[in-house]
Amino acid sequence: MGFINFLVYLAIMMGIFAILSVSLNLQYGFTGLANFGQVAFFCLGAYATTIVTLTFNQSFFLGIIASMFLAGLFGYIIAIPTADLREDYWAIVTLAAGEIVRIFFLNEDWVVGGGPYRGGAYGVGDIPQPFRSHFAAQTYPFFYLGIVLVCLLLTYLIINRLTNSPFGRVLKSIREGDDNLAQAMGKDVKKFRIKAMAIGGIFGGLAGCLYAHYYGFISPQEFVPLETFIVWAMVIVGGEGNNKGAILGSVIIILFYNSTRYLKDYVPINETTLASLRMVAIGVLIVVVMLFMKEGLIKEKKRIY
Amino acid sequence: MTFTQVIINSIIRASELTLLSLGLTIVYDILKFANFAHTEFAVVGAYLAFFLSVTLGLPIVPAAVIAAIATGFLSIAIDKAVFKKMRNSNGIIIMVTSMGVAIAMRNTVRAIWGADAKSYVLPLERPIATQWFRITSLQIWIIVVGAAAMIVFHLLLHYTRLGKAMRASSDNPALAQASGIATEKIVTYVWFIAITFASLGGTLIGMETYILPYMGFAIIIPVFCATIMGGIGNPYGAMLGALVLGFAENFGLYINFGKILNLGGLVHFSRDLFIPTGYKPAISFVMLIIVLLIRPRGILGKKKEG
Repeated sequence: MGFINFLVYLAIMMGIFAILSVSLNLQYGFTGLANFGQVAFFCLGAYATTIVTLTFNQSFFLGIIASMFLAGLFGYIIAIPTADLREDYWAIVTLAAGEIVRIFFLNEDWVVGGGPYRGGAYGVGDIPQPFRSHFAAQTYPFFYLGIVLVCLLLTYLIINRLTNSPFGRVLKSIREGDDNLAQAMGKDVKKFRIKAMAIGGIFGGLAGCLYAHYYGFISPQEFVPLETFIVWAMVIVGGEGNNKGAILGSVIIILFYNSTRYLKDYVPINETTLASLRMVAIGVLIVVVMLFMKEGLIKEKKRIY
Repeated sequence: MTFTQVIINSIIRASELTLLSLGLTIVYDILKFANFAHTEFAVVGAYLAFFLSVTLGLPIVPAAVIAAIATGFLSIAIDKAVFKKMRNSNGIIIMVTSMGVAIAMRNTVRAIWGADAKSYVLPLERPIATQWFRITSLQIWIIVVGAAAMIVFHLLLHYTRLGKAMRASSDNPALAQASGIATEKIVTYVWFIAITFASLGGTLIGMETYILPYMGFAIIIPVFCATIMGGIGNPYGAMLGALVLGFAENFGLYINFGKILNLGGLVHFSRDLFIPTGYKPAISFVMLIIVLLIRPRGILGKKKEG
């Protein structure tokens, strides 16, 4: 049973991170926006649903809606002043925005209701698991996996539909570095960038919501910029500009990340060193893919119109 | 804290930031990508200096200098292994790659030296105290090295063949190459100069507090903000940005906004209102957004795209 539970855990993590990477892929892979603050959406989604379901004791569905709304709104707001900026400025502005979200939750413990040892650096526990009372302890993870997969499927279908539509073609023309092309066709580049960030934010928030309810505990330490770069590794390895690639990338990175965890049983190495080496490998993987197979595992189908 | 003390602290912070932002900006100027691994080189330098001084027992000054030179060579090696193959790629792609390099470097440091804070063994000393401010001799060193970096960069860019070649390569790489300037050679020099100063900066910051594998990440946002605020690619902009940010970070926490809201007694607002210290990292970001909204290419940014 332990092994099956572990597989279910892996599948849930893959599903949650696949939603995040499909969302980042819309921004980076399709629109060319170097969002180094993807974790902000994840964090906002997790906290929004916690506040709604725990502090205000509302339903899980309201939590999902709040998560998606808040993270989408954040994407929208952060994109307004930055939409005209150059790509390298985007990277640092979004990275900093992600850090500010984390610093906010680190400093303001009242947002999750306050009380001793609660909120701020202590994190929040007891986040309710949706429909928990209807299932036995052994079957619940399977049910939760179902929720995650349905969310992933919906995310995939919606974003795929968007990227194959005229909207998606405008995004790609923005990515190709030529604002003039989009402008010549009467498209307001700035508006499209803002939309890509807002839509990316909505789904990033959804992933955060699913994460919070799965673990039942969140704290600002879980939303460090490192998470963003793990999602980046997923998009890059899987193949940017390609939704299937983003999902495949998250499966591979989660498998790699978790399989190396058991290496310590076979190699005499302590936990911290192993954790560091794992991240060294992820860094090197990003560099190697960028150098030698820039299109990733699944290539984007480029069509000539 | 007295007003003069806040000014002194601002200058110290500006000197630290300058050491890092100058290098970031010249690498950008020549190679046209934002190097997210820049501050990680500072961390590697700080740890090498720690290894030389604490583990091997060298005096701190030669240790810092040798570490800086070694880190400079490391940056050249990484350039040859990774970035050289991407010279013709889009800036975003190189930037993302540099992020991968940064993650690998940071965690290599963590794997070797562990995740805990380390500090250099420095003689205890009493700060020089006057009526208006206190300053340690280390802090004077930080200001001196920061100022020296500014002077060296100015002289280098305007009075040496290398500097002229650097400016030519930055303006028009193809033309520079056609005129017989070996751009690849210049790239090597630029990496070396940029990273040795970054390494010195990292070591000095570490000497003032302690060193951590994650300190590169703690400083990346202020360093990038200083660089971008002044106009990325412009060394004088990097100096100005560092100065503006050094003052903003320190005065942001010092100013009592309650008194300002009071408008000299016009409005009755008697509460004290300070920015909480937990938000200090946010100041640089807010400054950056304000500057970019007013001048999208930075304070001293060039009008035309490079």
